[in-house]
Amino acid sequence: MKKSESKSQAKTRAKVVGKPSPGRSSTANGRRRNGASSDQVPVRKNPHGIPDYRLEVPSFRTVEEWIDGQLRYNVEGNLSPDPPPLRQSKYLNKQQSLEIYRYMVLNRKMEQALENLFKQQKVVGGVYLGLGQEGCSCASAYALREGDWIGPMIRNQGALLVRGFEPRDVMMQYMAKSGAPTGGRDAGSHFGDKHKRHIAAPISMLGDLIPVLAGVALGARLQGRNIACLTWVGDGGQSTGPTYEGFNFAAVQKLGVILIVENNLWAYSTPVDRQVVCRDLADRAIGYGVPGFIVDGTDPNQVYDVTYEAALRAYAGDGATLIEAKMMRMRGHAMHDAAAYVPKPYFEYWKKRDPILRMEKYLLDKRWLTAQENNELIESVQKKIEEDREFADASPYPDGSTAGESVFCDQSVEIPFLYGHPKVKRVEKKKLGAASDVAHFR
Amino acid sequence: MASLTYLEAIREGIWEEMERDPAVFCIGEDIGVYGGAFKVTEGFIHHFGSERVIDTPIAEAAIVSAAFGASLTGMRPVAEFQFMDFISCAHNQIINMVAKANYRWNAPAPLVLRGPSGGGVSGGPFHSQNPETYYAHTPGLKVICPATARDAKGLIKAAIRDNNPCLFFEHKFLYRRIKEELPTEDYTVEIGKARTHREGRHVSVITYAAMVYVAQEAAEILATEGIEVEIIDLRTVAPLDRETIANTVKKTNRVVILHEDTKTGGLAGEIAAIINEMAFDDLDAPITRIASLDTPVPFSPPLEKFFLPKVEDVVREARRLRAY
Repeated sequence: MKKSESKSQAKTRAKVVGKPSPGRSSTANGRRRNGASSDQVPVRKNPHGIPDYRLEVPSFRTVEEWIDGQLRYNVEGNLSPDPPPLRQSKYLNKQQSLEIYRYMVLNRKMEQALENLFKQQKVVGGVYLGLGQEGCSCASAYALREGDWIGPMIRNQGALLVRGFEPRDVMMQYMAKSGAPTGGRDAGSHFGDKHKRHIAAPISMLGDLIPVLAGVALGARLQGRNIACLTWVGDGGQSTGPTYEGFNFAAVQKLGVILIVENNLWAYSTPVDRQVVCRDLADRAIGYGVPGFIVDGTDPNQVYDVTYEAALRAYAGDGATLIEAKMMRMRGHAMHDAAAYVPKPYFEYWKKRDPILRMEKYLLDKRWLTAQENNELIESVQKKIEEDREFADASPYPDGSTAGESVFCDQSVEIPFLYGHPKVKRVEKKKLGAASDVAHFR
Repeated sequence: MASLTYLEAIREGIWEEMERDPAVFCIGEDIGVYGGAFKVTEGFIHHFGSERVIDTPIAEAAIVSAAFGASLTGMRPVAEFQFMDFISCAHNQIINMVAKANYRWNAPAPLVLRGPSGGGVSGGPFHSQNPETYYAHTPGLKVICPATARDAKGLIKAAIRDNNPCLFFEHKFLYRRIKEELPTEDYTVEIGKARTHREGRHVSVITYAAMVYVAQEAAEILATEGIEVEIIDLRTVAPLDRETIANTVKKTNRVVILHEDTKTGGLAGEIAAIINEMAFDDLDAPITRIASLDTPVPFSPPLEKFFLPKVEDVVREARRLRAY
């Protein structure tokens, strides 16, 4: 549609942005037990044979409409169903489920505190929230073992908490304080920890951690260990070249990279239908030649189980896995962005699928959590957030004159093997003969 | 003592480091069974195995990133670009992921990114470039451009042992054109130190890589006229050896800066600024730059010959400075 389109032409005309979806049912049909779905609910396959663990397969698409000479997005499809309960986890016990839930609550409360700090102008720069995506971040990171790596993106701050960073670390990052993991050298979730928590620090460019984590897995394998390396990319970020280069490299080398494509429907302001034509991003797994799966990103049990099984394949040397987690980013790209371009019905639909509400209901229904215990858990998280906020607020800014330090690593620093001495072929010293006289150019 | 070509010196340097240190491995395109487009890694896969000599998809961003990832676990990867022109395909990974890692999150990246650069072989616009200055401009990288077989071997070993990302530009024109007796014992050459290629009193030529030999030819002609040229081979373009640059100017008071990279925004401007900062009062003549034309590297031999700096250019400028 051109800007010049006249108002008369533009009453209300819808143009399909996305591909029409094949008619799919939108309700779960599993047996119910204490309000939770039974573990007998079969796994669907999508039209290309990709296992789809979701208990509902909603049918909607984003469409363009001209209203009073302005282009707006609207949604077409049935967004009225209530969400099903969570899928029963094959692996998680009560204690693990409660821990994941606590991390999710911690993730959200921390981000609420960040929002408040932003409004109090104590944050330097923007704040990026993962509202609605906490279940995916926390449950997937929770599926890993010690020694595995993660490469988080901006909406995976929950994963940082699961791997052992504290809310105060994230807060100090946003507040550019000296006590922050990067000491004020980089912002927000842009930090990592090589030695202890095994987290690769992201850069703002998207998809770039995928080949990096492939390299980490390669390094570990040269040292005799098959590890799982989990990273995430959005429906927007997966459009980049490094995403393809990196994940294909991992596939070819049979490296244990687990790539979760967080299809949250919006890349900044661009609907997923403007990023890709294919309906399920998990279909890309077929092209890479690796196992692919679809999960409901607001169901921590699905996310955990599929990630856990991907990690088992990684340990066995069976290579990479692609997981598409479907959900919605419930805020703008960053705090300044009101997300006015997102049609309201989307918010209403996904609000009912809030991962924390769903997990809370699951735990209460299962009697793994009482209302009182839940209140206590939320209170203790709130208390932790308050303490950390005060700590972060009191932390000083870095001394500006240190800005010139540590561009390079001193030669006296020992760089250790993380997984032990390389287990490579032993070689006897041998004199190298002359190179043959073949050259691409002379 | 053994006589090795520039290419063989690099090859032997990597080979010896791989024998010495199991952390070192090679990764790149066609480096395994084929042995690399120029045969730098010929025979490596048979000696070290395919675990340590890894053929990759044609994906430079993945090669650099995977090398970086492996370096995070304590490995010391040596990644090959088939031609340094293709470094542009991994520019983002180098300047944003690799170069900033130690500064941002205390993650040193002990890796080497190496490959053939430079022209004079009719390689055309995409197989002849000298992209070193893009990277010399980026904090966090060491950029090495050796001119002799001895330095090539000593510097590739130093780069592999260095705790920081090192970009190693091998001049393809020199690969099989120069040959030298090398020490049989293990040695390294310090990164960041220039070398006096030829001593002289009248005019300094500050240069590096293949242009060292253009300067040398010019110096021989000028010597017959009584003009003694001092040639400084920088060997490393980041970090620059500021002391040696200043000292040669203090000695000769006249300076030509010569490089094969194109002129505008090239390294000569930076070197001129260093001289301005450190030895302005010692200058008896204006600083002179000789560099390639500000065009893509043309393909046809007469065009490329015109594009590249020539011996006559150096002779002319040195005479002019001497008479100034």
